[in-house]
Amino acid sequence: MRKLFRAVCLTIICVGMVTAGDVTGKVSFSGTAPEMPRLRMDADRFCRAAHKTPVTSEEVVVNKNGTLKNVLVYIKGSVGKHSAPKEKALFDQQGCMYIPHVLGVQTGQPVEIRNSDNTLHNVHTLSEKNPAFNAGQPIKGHKLTKTFDKVETFKVKCDVHSWMGAYIGVFDHPYFAVTDDNGSFTLKNVPAGEYTLEAWHEKYGTKTIKITVPAAGKATAEFRYPN
Amino acid sequence: MLEQRARIPVEQRNYAGFYLAFSALLFLGTVWAVWDEVRIRRPWKEYQTAYYETLYARLDSLKRTALGEIDPEEIARLEANERAAKDALKNDEYREAVEKKNALLEELDVATREWRFARSRSDAAYYQYQKAFLAGKDASDLKKEVERHDAEIADYARQMEKLNGQIAAYDSVINRYEDAVQRSQADLRALYAKANSYDLKLEKAREAPLDIKQVILADFEYTPFTEIKSRIDRCQTCHMGWAEDVMTDAPQPFAKHPLPELLSIHNPESFGCTPCHRGQGPALTKGFAHGEEDHYWETPILKGVEIYATCNTCHSEETVLKHAKPFTQAKQLVLESGCFGCHEIKGYSDAPKIGPSLNALTGKTTPSWIYRWVQDPRAYNPHTRMPNFKFSDEEAEAVTAYLVSIGNKSGYSPLAPRGAYRGGSIQRGRELFQSVGCQACHVAGQDTRVRDERGTSYDIAPELTRVGSKVNPDWLFDWIRNPRHFNPTTRMPSLRLTDDEARHLVAYLMTLQDDRRFPSPSLDLSNPDKIVRGEALIREYGCAGCHEIKGMENEGKVSVNLSDFGRKKVEQMDFGNTRELPHDAEFDYAEDPDGTVAVKHTWSGWVYGKLKNARLYVTDRIVQKMPVFTFTDEEIRLIRAFLVSMTRDVPLPTYQHPVTKRVADLEAGRRLTVHYNCIQCHMVEERGGFIRTLYEDPGLGPPPLPETQGAKVQEQWLHAFLKNPTTVRPWLKLRMPTFQFSEDEIAKIQKYFLAMSKQDFELRDYTATVVEAKYLAPGRQLFELYQCAKCHPTGSADLSELSASDLAPDLALAYRRLKPEWIVEWIIDPQKLQPGTRMPTFFYEGVAPDQETLGGDVREQAKALSAHIWNLGKRK
Repeated sequence: MRKLFRAVCLTIICVGMVTAGDVTGKVSFSGTAPEMPRLRMDADRFCRAAHKTPVTSEEVVVNKNGTLKNVLVYIKGSVGKHSAPKEKALFDQQGCMYIPHVLGVQTGQPVEIRNSDNTLHNVHTLSEKNPAFNAGQPIKGHKLTKTFDKVETFKVKCDVHSWMGAYIGVFDHPYFAVTDDNGSFTLKNVPAGEYTLEAWHEKYGTKTIKITVPAAGKATAEFRYPN
Repeated sequence: MLEQRARIPVEQRNYAGFYLAFSALLFLGTVWAVWDEVRIRRPWKEYQTAYYETLYARLDSLKRTALGEIDPEEIARLEANERAAKDALKNDEYREAVEKKNALLEELDVATREWRFARSRSDAAYYQYQKAFLAGKDASDLKKEVERHDAEIADYARQMEKLNGQIAAYDSVINRYEDAVQRSQADLRALYAKANSYDLKLEKAREAPLDIKQVILADFEYTPFTEIKSRIDRCQTCHMGWAEDVMTDAPQPFAKHPLPELLSIHNPESFGCTPCHRGQGPALTKGFAHGEEDHYWETPILKGVEIYATCNTCHSEETVLKHAKPFTQAKQLVLESGCFGCHEIKGYSDAPKIGPSLNALTGKTTPSWIYRWVQDPRAYNPHTRMPNFKFSDEEAEAVTAYLVSIGNKSGYSPLAPRGAYRGGSIQRGRELFQSVGCQACHVAGQDTRVRDERGTSYDIAPELTRVGSKVNPDWLFDWIRNPRHFNPTTRMPSLRLTDDEARHLVAYLMTLQDDRRFPSPSLDLSNPDKIVRGEALIREYGCAGCHEIKGMENEGKVSVNLSDFGRKKVEQMDFGNTRELPHDAEFDYAEDPDGTVAVKHTWSGWVYGKLKNARLYVTDRIVQKMPVFTFTDEEIRLIRAFLVSMTRDVPLPTYQHPVTKRVADLEAGRRLTVHYNCIQCHMVEERGGFIRTLYEDPGLGPPPLPETQGAKVQEQWLHAFLKNPTTVRPWLKLRMPTFQFSEDEIAKIQKYFLAMSKQDFELRDYTATVVEAKYLAPGRQLFELYQCAKCHPTGSADLSELSASDLAPDLALAYRRLKPEWIVEWIIDPQKLQPGTRMPTFFYEGVAPDQETLGGDVREQAKALSAHIWNLGKRK
């Protein structure tokens, strides 16, 4: 009975005063940045010609301000119900690289997979919960639209160009972000409450922090990599 | 009181009280009897009531969710649509149309009536005219009369046509309005369709009566007196939700069956439940139905992996069942562990021996190694399949003496002169060992990834971690160059090594030494008494069941027949000195710290103990010869499930899966692929492919052999390839070894692949395949546009320079290797034929990237590409 009472009260509080705040923060990197190997694109003339300057692997990108780029930060687990946004997320292939290198999308959200290169690419997802696919895009400007229905973070690769790799994280809520050139992230309008905030990096793995989004105002968090 | 009553004269005594009391008793008794009959003795009614309550609750909540999911805006919009459509019926255009139409309909009625009357009049006039005409009278007036009437008919008909036309015009107006109403209503219904479907189910469930659900399997099996009898299953009386999606995670007995795809082949409505699950079909209380309370019921319900045991009653000839993984695993375990070497097992009598030939051991290793091996094989190789016979020193010496004596007489000597192995590089040898494919079957050192992936407690090929202490290098050089020189029936394939490569490998392998030191035993091996004793021991313990041994080519099975072991009574089993575990204990087997062992004194407990330690039941008086295996607990449970299946009770042939030619072909192929361990590298029928764990990218491992393999490659090519494998995928360092298959074995593999593809063997001249000329130009164009040559070499040098890497098979070989119709299907959707392949789908979701060539038709484009590819190799 007391449980029920509490549940009812909680519901009233939740429904009665829906409050939300932004969660902001950054992902710092300590120590020296590992040297990334240069990507050799000799196998495809087009790719080699597409870059004037040497390109290095995007596995670990440490920003000038000592922060880590391409970290996917998100609230772990489900947060209420959200209908899929209608606007498309773009996943582009340009200069034989994936742009962006790490992409976060919502379940059911359309993802436009585009080939902006004048060469053959194939988009091969190594997903386990979502059905995996391997689609060839031989023509410049070719577009495919896909949606992913299961929460999962998986790798995408190109079998033609062995150096090409990217990651797509699928979430059933809109509270996720990928760190930028400043290593910072912002999750907008997170409903007040206690959450587990998780950061994921393709090489260094996951880290979690408990956060509380107050009824009024913001929350901040900082992740530290690699240790 | 009774005394008082006795004083009253008989005729004055009042019996009303008695009658009242007894009739009340009788009444209560009747009520109780009815209640007992209807309710107490029918506990299934409670289950059914509870089932329906759960079902109602679930359907109701699903309905609510479905209703909740409907967007209220959408409801409002559609309802507004409906209202608007209905309101529109009130406007003038519609009402006028209806009024006018009704007026016209009345007119039409009148016209139709008049038309009918005119026809009657015409018929009457015609009669008069005909009558006059035949009578020879003047009929011209009458004829005119007829014509006048006919003209009237035509008039009315025209009138009717005109009216119909006018009505149709109004109809189209009316329909426009009414269709709008109907459409808006249909839209609303569609919105509620999901919720309504639950309502429909609810209604049906509410109408369902409480009754016994019974399946009768007519003429199902034989009684012990060989009379045919039927079987009755009433399990579904309580297990009501077996097919109900809504009850997926409901508690038992209401849960949905976890394997609906299996039930689609074995429909419980005609097939019952007990043929698979066992138990007492006609019983209606849990304890009796499951057979736990009825101790006289011989086949209680099966649990855990043992449920799959009953597959064998009908599928005894098969070793792979798609929907019964534990069954497949158990049979593979039995095949690989060689149980049939000592035991007669139905269906396994001609399975090949699993061990190597022992006829020329002295050419390979030393007597002291043989001696130590015979004593305890796992001391040298902890993952060998060879069990421990627990021979005494004296027995081991005798066995060694016999093996050495036949070895010395074998006349084996390596082909190359002694010392020819010298000069290899250890480093190169290690690289070769890690790249050409030795690691698929052999473990050396710490790298146990393939073994872990395989997950069995034993290796198929010997571990090589200590091989340098076992074999002599001359033998090793000879062996890896051509294994069949030493042993003509070995399964070890040739990797087509050059002499130099073989030298490198020998150099590396000889560095793998046993770092333990053993005192060299003083063995008296030339003593004829010992040799005779050794021969007797080998015969007694049935070594020839697994090994080829000279002088023992025609030995029988040394142990009991297992074909009806599942029916063996616990009274016939001896539990030796083991303590008894209670029947309801969680485990079948328990070891105490003091070394004593307790098992359940049941069939299951006995088997578990026996497989855990074959000498467990030895006592002072009872000798046991079965050697000790080291199966894992999971393996023991699987083998036990196999033994559960070993009964002679099988249903009548009408219920059995017929062994068709296709099934026989499949089965021969499966056994061959297990025997040669093809599944170590290739994934066949969803099992195997263990070596792929060595590759980060599974696309870089050996190709799987999906069920479409038979439809893929040309029979002639496959024959040549199996005889002498050639390079198809240049990017693989791994080599398909040469197994030196016999013609008979190649035929089995061919038939296996064809049977998996559901194709028949046919003689075809693939060189005569006609390429349609109309496809050639678009084919070339598409080949360029889709950049096929980016990954596929096409036989010509200038194209291969363009290739991103040598990623894919050379298409110049296609016309000699592939079936033309397969190429088309492959191009259309490679992922469907081989999930996970690196070949992308170019026609993703059935859309061609190029919408112009051949009208953007996927199949036409694939045909064109196929035509071009077919011509690529021929052009040279």
